[in-house]
Amino acid sequence: MNDLLLDVRDVSKTFVRGGLFSREEIVAVNKVSLQLAAGRPEILAIIGESGSGKTTLARMILNMVTPTSGRLLLDGTDLAAISGSAGRIAFMHKVQPIFQNPFESFNPLKRVERYLLMTRRRFAAAAGGSTAATAVDAALHKVGLSLKEVGGRYPHELSGGQLQRVAIARALLAEPKLIVADEPVSMIDASLRISIVNLFRTLRDELGISIIYITHDLATAYYISDRILIMQKGSVVESGDARAVLTAPRHPCTRQLREAALLPQIAGGGANASGTTQVI
Amino acid sequence: MHASVEQPHGEQDVQPLLVVRDLQAYYRTSHAGVRRAIRAVDGVSFAVRRGEIYGLAGESSSGKTTLIKSIAGAIKPPLEIVGGSMEFAFLPGYGGLHRAPPAQVERIRWRHLSYIMQGSMNVLNPVRRIRCSFTDFAYPHIGGSRQQFEQQVVAHLSRVRLDPSVLSAFPHELSGGMRQRAALALATICRPGFIIADEPTTALDVVVQKEVLGMIRGIQRETGSSVLFVTHDMGVHAHITDRLAIMYAGRLVEEAATAEIFRNPLHPYTQNLIASLPRIGEDAPRAGLGGAPPNLADPPSGCRFHPRCPLAREICSREVPVMREAGAGHRVACFAVNGDDGA
Ligand SMILES: Nc1ncnc2c1ncn2[C@@H]1O[C@H](COP(=O)(O)OP(=O)(O)O)[C@@H](O)[C@H]1O
Ligand code: SF4
Ligand SMILES: [Mg+2]
Repeated sequence: MNDLLLDVRDVSKTFVRGGLFSREEIVAVNKVSLQLAAGRPEILAIIGESGSGKTTLARMILNMVTPTSGRLLLDGTDLAAISGSAGRIAFMHKVQPIFQNPFESFNPLKRVERYLLMTRRRFAAAAGGSTAATAVDAALHKVGLSLKEVGGRYPHELSGGQLQRVAIARALLAEPKLIVADEPVSMIDASLRISIVNLFRTLRDELGISIIYITHDLATAYYISDRILIMQKGSVVESGDARAVLTAPRHPCTRQLREAALLPQIAGGGANASGTTQVI
Repeated sequence: MHASVEQPHGEQDVQPLLVVRDLQAYYRTSHAGVRRAIRAVDGVSFAVRRGEIYGLAGESSSGKTTLIKSIAGAIKPPLEIVGGSMEFAFLPGYGGLHRAPPAQVERIRWRHLSYIMQGSMNVLNPVRRIRCSFTDFAYPHIGGSRQQFEQQVVAHLSRVRLDPSVLSAFPHELSGGMRQRAALALATICRPGFIIADEPTTALDVVVQKEVLGMIRGIQRETGSSVLFVTHDMGVHAHITDRLAIMYAGRLVEEAATAEIFRNPLHPYTQNLIASLPRIGEDAPRAGLGGAPPNLADPPSGCRFHPRCPLAREICSREVPVMREAGAGHRVACFAVNGDDGA
């Protein structure tokens, strides 16, 4: 057993854009390190503007992007050493992604339940003896849906919120140790958003799953995360206890994000009808 | 169900810009020989006043986009207008864009009415450079020399923090946030009297979002236009809308000044929605709504919220509560608030 579930060591990623004569190097991620302890599941929020490198970092952790330098280890296994389909399936058993736009993660021509059943078959070894349909239905119930509801539907027949819940159910079928969720609730409404964020907490506390929660929603990050990383231009500029960082931000970038966040509350006085709404 | 549309208080003489009456818009689909109607908008009535930002909130699949598409006349099968009317002050007598002659609709688009669709791809032609979209849609309304027009476009783009170089790009070459800002710039450059926007800032970063909302508010103030602003983001509503309507399962359940909705929500669904919002500095656990979202192909009888409502009583599953005035400018559709005769 390893002490670290995830060990990101000094990783950088540089993308090269343009042709032979106009090469432009973009440092998407610049020497980032982060660790998640094994056996101590936590929710780690990563916050930053778009282009700050959050998604690239997430994709490196998911082994979808190869770092230009540095190393990533999951449960002691170097991601660079993973090869072959058996290796990849073993990896996907441990880490599952959830993306921002659920419409992009589903094949528009396939009914969603077929996709879930296929996923369940791929990971069948992990789950006990329950039938595929039962397992899929159980996973859907964990996210507030049921097989009865999504049965027969194509992705475009579901709203973004419904489809995102299906995507989370799909990730749960693999029974992962780590979920990397990139802006998972940005397309989801408030009452459901809190349910999903609470669901992350349940996954952490009851199933022992660690979650990397990438978001621009500071309020849910405050509400749910144990730790937080603030990224700017590829680098981590501030990190620490989520509540401490968000209530007393030190780095100017964190302060700017904190000030621009539109919080769902109305400042005292002033009728809105006159357009004098103040945001606090 | 015949809900009345309240006239704005103290300004009965001023005609609202848009009056929606008892609108019903369904998706009629057939799957494996089984026909079904998804009753996405089912008896919605409200009015948008001149010079206000009217917000529409509600969980996903509650019918917000369907309502907006119906109002904007973007009605394609399987979507059908089944009943009701949508009357615009600048296009009277038709009861909806879908019933107006195309030439009339063409005349008011961009100048009087612009529609920013969810995902914002609609206005930007995918196979033409951004510059062409501006020339195609906005130039006929703005006129002047090409050079003056280009200058005006560049100045307007800077208000949404876009560099003039985007004019030479194709939509797919831009990030989602840049596309959304380009679509917003296009929708506002003719300073239309009525802007309909469906989740226009959802893909934007917080810092840019705040600026873009400021731009929308600025244009709205300068021109006295009205905005129908749809988003599920309650922080955005708190920041920008004057009045706010809450939609649940294809119907409006509450409407009031935005501050009133946040401070004094009356409908049980709205109360849960407001109480579920996390806030920085508050550590109390928040609870989402229990139970499953309604299936609009087979919605609950009576009040569609009744299977999830902590205050549900016998009448709630039998009869449909209508929107009633529960305070000055505050309308609610709930038997627990309005009394059992509220049907
Ligand atoms: N093209 C379509 N065909 C069939 N059903 C649809 C279609 N588009 C939306 N729906 C259904 O209509 C209902 C309302 O959806 P929508 O108006 O998109 O809600 P919102 O914008 O509030 O998320 C949902 O049940 C959704 O699944
Ligand atoms: S009408 Fe009845 S079920 Fe509907 S919100 Fe009111 S109390 Fe609840
Ligand atoms: Mg929508």
